[in-house]
Amino acid sequence: MSAPGATGAAVPGAAPVLRLTDVVKTFPGVRALDGVQLEVNEGEVHCLLGQNGAGKSTLIKVLAGVHHADSGEISWLGEPFAPATPQAAMRAGIATIYQELDLVDDLSVAENAFLGHEESRFGFTRRRSSAAKTRQILARLGHPEIPARRLVKHLPAAGKQIVSMARALSHDARLIVMDEPSAVLAHDEVANLFRIIRELTAQGIAVIYISHRLAEIREIGDRVTVLKDGRTTAANLPARTTPTRELVGKMTGRSIEYVFPPRRPRDETEPILVVAGLTRHGEFADATLAVAPGEIVGIAGLVGSGRSELLETIFGARRPDSGTVTMDGRRVTGVGGAVARGIGMAPEERKSQALLLDEPVYKNMTLASFSGFAHGGFTDTRDERAAALKTADLLELRPRDVDRPVRTLSGGNQQKVVVGRWLLGGTKLLLLDEPTRGVDVGARAELYQVIRGLAEDGVAVLLVSSEVPEVLGLADRVLVMREGRLIHEAPADELDEDTVLDLVMAGSLLEGEPA
Amino acid sequence: MSALSRRRVLFGGAAVGAGALLTACTSNDPGTDAQVKTNSSGDANAAPGTKVVIGFSAPAADHGWIAAITNNAKAQAAAYTDVELKTVEAGADAAAQRAALATLIAQKPTVLVMLPHDGKELNATGLEAMRAGIPVVNLDRAFPSQAAYRLQIKGDNYGMGLAAGDYIGAQLKAKGVSNPIIGEIPGIDSLELTQERTQGFNTALAAYGFKVANRRPAEFTADSGQASATALLQALPKMDALWNHDDDQGIGVLAAIKQAGRSEFFMVGGAGSKAAIDQIIADNSVLKATVTYSPSMASSAISLARLIGQGKGMTDLVELQVPKEITLASETITKENAAKYAKLGF
Amino acid sequence: MTAEAVRAKKPRQIDDGVIRNLGLVGVLIILVVIGIVTRPELYSDPTWVRNNVLTILQQASAIGVVTVGMTFVIIGGGIDLSVGAIIALSGVWATTLATQSYGAAGMIFTALVVGVAVGVVNGVLISYGRLVPFIATLAMLVSARGLAAQISGKQTQVSANDTINNIASTKLIGIPLLVWMLAAVVAAGWVLLNRTTFGRRTVAVGGNPEAARLAGINVKRHTLMLYALSGLCCGIAAIMLTSQATSAQAAMANLYELDAIAAAIIGGTLLSGGRGTIVGALFGVLVFSTITNLFAINNLSTEVQNMVKGGIIVAAVLIQQFRYRSLTQLLKR
Repeated sequence: MSAPGATGAAVPGAAPVLRLTDVVKTFPGVRALDGVQLEVNEGEVHCLLGQNGAGKSTLIKVLAGVHHADSGEISWLGEPFAPATPQAAMRAGIATIYQELDLVDDLSVAENAFLGHEESRFGFTRRRSSAAKTRQILARLGHPEIPARRLVKHLPAAGKQIVSMARALSHDARLIVMDEPSAVLAHDEVANLFRIIRELTAQGIAVIYISHRLAEIREIGDRVTVLKDGRTTAANLPARTTPTRELVGKMTGRSIEYVFPPRRPRDETEPILVVAGLTRHGEFADATLAVAPGEIVGIAGLVGSGRSELLETIFGARRPDSGTVTMDGRRVTGVGGAVARGIGMAPEERKSQALLLDEPVYKNMTLASFSGFAHGGFTDTRDERAAALKTADLLELRPRDVDRPVRTLSGGNQQKVVVGRWLLGGTKLLLLDEPTRGVDVGARAELYQVIRGLAEDGVAVLLVSSEVPEVLGLADRVLVMREGRLIHEAPADELDEDTVLDLVMAGSLLEGEPA
Repeated sequence: MSALSRRRVLFGGAAVGAGALLTACTSNDPGTDAQVKTNSSGDANAAPGTKVVIGFSAPAADHGWIAAITNNAKAQAAAYTDVELKTVEAGADAAAQRAALATLIAQKPTVLVMLPHDGKELNATGLEAMRAGIPVVNLDRAFPSQAAYRLQIKGDNYGMGLAAGDYIGAQLKAKGVSNPIIGEIPGIDSLELTQERTQGFNTALAAYGFKVANRRPAEFTADSGQASATALLQALPKMDALWNHDDDQGIGVLAAIKQAGRSEFFMVGGAGSKAAIDQIIADNSVLKATVTYSPSMASSAISLARLIGQGKGMTDLVELQVPKEITLASETITKENAAKYAKLGF
Repeated sequence: MTAEAVRAKKPRQIDDGVIRNLGLVGVLIILVVIGIVTRPELYSDPTWVRNNVLTILQQASAIGVVTVGMTFVIIGGGIDLSVGAIIALSGVWATTLATQSYGAAGMIFTALVVGVAVGVVNGVLISYGRLVPFIATLAMLVSARGLAAQISGKQTQVSANDTINNIASTKLIGIPLLVWMLAAVVAAGWVLLNRTTFGRRTVAVGGNPEAARLAGINVKRHTLMLYALSGLCCGIAAIMLTSQATSAQAAMANLYELDAIAAAIIGGTLLSGGRGTIVGALFGVLVFSTITNLFAINNLSTEVQNMVKGGIIVAAVLIQQFRYRSLTQLLKR
């Protein structure tokens, strides 16, 4: 462990604004923070790296005044700092932009920006002045085109993030914490985010930037602090020059080199899933594809290209306007039928679409199959537990406790529970929507291994991801999707990242239409 | 039983609306046993006179008593060849009744008979009608303003309590019970009518040196009567007498008494329903008497409205016009006189 | 369970409603103690005490049956404001002269079928008509009472059927038949919730409807069945109440919806769905029934009783939350 402030490529002459020393925070059964050191300088982008469950979220919440540290010292602008409430932290100049943006959909951009500290006179909000100030802030963020009076729900994800940042600036924040800000953004939007971050730091505002994407850290970061199991394992490493191997090593204790399991040659088999001319107006059109048993097919495309909608329609969760889905020679028209034919889906939003957070792991794993375990309508929790435990072992679930509420698991382990659900049901086709979103590097490798293992056991896999390397590394065959259409198909080893990115980002559909 | 309407605010204000849509009436049709004054031979007022149009408005019934009021009014009007009855739905609350009455007043009936949702809230409507030259007959729920009505005919809640207390006191005294345990099951306790009845009851008992040992209010419904009576019986393992304010909820009270296997006391009812009168005649339960609060007042109101419309007085009285206020006496129905009252039961 | 045993368990197991129910048992004990202290002369008679316990249970039976159905609906993410109205409609329909002519079996059949049918209408409106449960069942509350008033001609309909009327006065092994019925419904409800696929689906549908749907559970059909189940419970309760009052009328079971919801909530059922216990709901009902009894034997006014009931709802939930939190805190150390 390096001592805080010992090394690094901090902005020359910049003074530390925030310093954490030996901060500890415990929850029932967990030492979420177990001695964290962190030093952030004025005007720097300080990256926080760590696996899920390493304590990043807890650390953010301590800074934001949501949690209170049990012991250790926090100094902010040279003074001891212990915000009692999120409002107190805000007032002190620390703003946090959470992964799940905490905006009110039915309020306007300006109202959201000034939420909690509305300008008012005699109890009446001063809408005009708020709107004017919001416009100034939006201009400062390089987005004068966002109307201050528009309802937030009409904005795209990237626009919402800008509003979140506008809120931070409305408080005159001197430190902005960003929790995986790029997760909800498409490729080109990330570039804009970075431009904004650079403008903020140029004004002397410090940024704590959390991301799993090493490439982003290289591009935007000044220094990196690595957390593992609630401790700082490395502090103030130079973001651009520290070797990946070292960073991953500090995070996980293992190397990233063999992330993707090797493909094995596969016999040509008849497809199990055949999708023909599937169309939903305004979402995707004329999608035709097939997946064979034991094959992993990946769909590469940007957020908004219609890939999630396509997957949900194949699963029967959305009704197509035209076209057919055939599984094992039989039509699929609804979720019930899809599950009965052996299709399983791990949706994009784990928490809101897949999990019963307060229920134990085993009940979540058997959510699609508990009827099969039951005898005459009576559930058999003993068999369910045993089966869940077996699956947990197979997926290396941590902790290996199937009675624990899913809420207490890290993102990667939650994802394993969702995948495990379909392993229990004797699934023949698995639809995976962004299976590694919010999953740390170590757990990703395990998930890849699991997916590949399933395919080798004869399960057909249809995978959607916005991370092109993931699709290329994992899939046997790749479909490229853009603006609701499947525009290219090729074996994964005949494509490289640049080609795919060119395809998904090409200007118009006709112009980019490949042979 | 004024202000029963408040209960409708609690449950099913749209009962009226739904009721209007559905016309089927499967059973227990109350229209068959209305209280009508027919024996009028030799009465000069019985002869047909000038044609009288009587406007009538009462709250939609959620209780046997209110249902009987409307039925009685209709039946009595039908008994006269010179009376035309115009009925308007009173709606769910005072505001609805006000609106309905405004329409009715515009049609210029000769006389207006109404059982208001609330006397205070419809006072202005009474004044308006009177100013328009339409005499108003107020049924049971008094207007605060004297100018708002030509005739008020109502029951006597305080008198009911007095009658019940008097009967119980006399019976216990006759039996020689010196320190009796007396129970009381009122209707909805927050209503003024309930408080008046209880006051009368307590006053009458005090004259005998008795007082109520326990009172458990019900809600004028049989199931609430059963629940309250069960609680009361449990609280008073031995009891000498019981007054239940309302014969409708009394069905449940009597059921509870039977279920508890109790018979050491006697019970007095209230209002004077047909079922209660039948039971008093049969004399096979603890119910020995009931004190009246009769919906026959609606029949009388129509008769008197006709006289007012025709400018006649009550022939047995000296006055040339109908008096301004009539309060029915609360009568005590016992086995001895029950036969006489059987046709007045509702 | 000893304190050590509680502490030895993992935090998640506190969630099983044990602590919540312990809180309610505490409230019950306090109420009984108050009864003993205030009316020692009554409590000194063992026959009276036995009778009193049975009376409390008997008066809790109809509302208890309704609360079991309500608990399922709430766990499943809904709410049923129409239970009182369904009871009234079932009771009134079962006691029309026409129905009574078919005898006790006809009356019971009618009450159950009407209850289930109204529940199905609720369920169809909510699952397939996509009405908010609050609105759909509020509309049903109003219109079912209206229909009941129409059918009964706004009169109290007396049951002339001795078999029906005797249900309330029959005892088996010294215990009222109504209490046996409550016990049977509670036991069936417990098994249904905790041991069957139906119960598992209920928790899933209430806990996360989207996850349940994407796991292949027919959420709409299940939601419909929950309201039908609530309607069935109302039908059973209608028979019980009709027997107790030997009559039915459109205004019967007044405000039962509020009592049932309150009992379910203080019994540890989450109003947002996904979690709840049948045993807790039963204790909730018993607390209310015991309060009524306590106030009756002390001749205290019902106005104060209602205030105390409201206070108990708030206090029970607060205490449970506090105890739950502090106990979990304790377990963390």
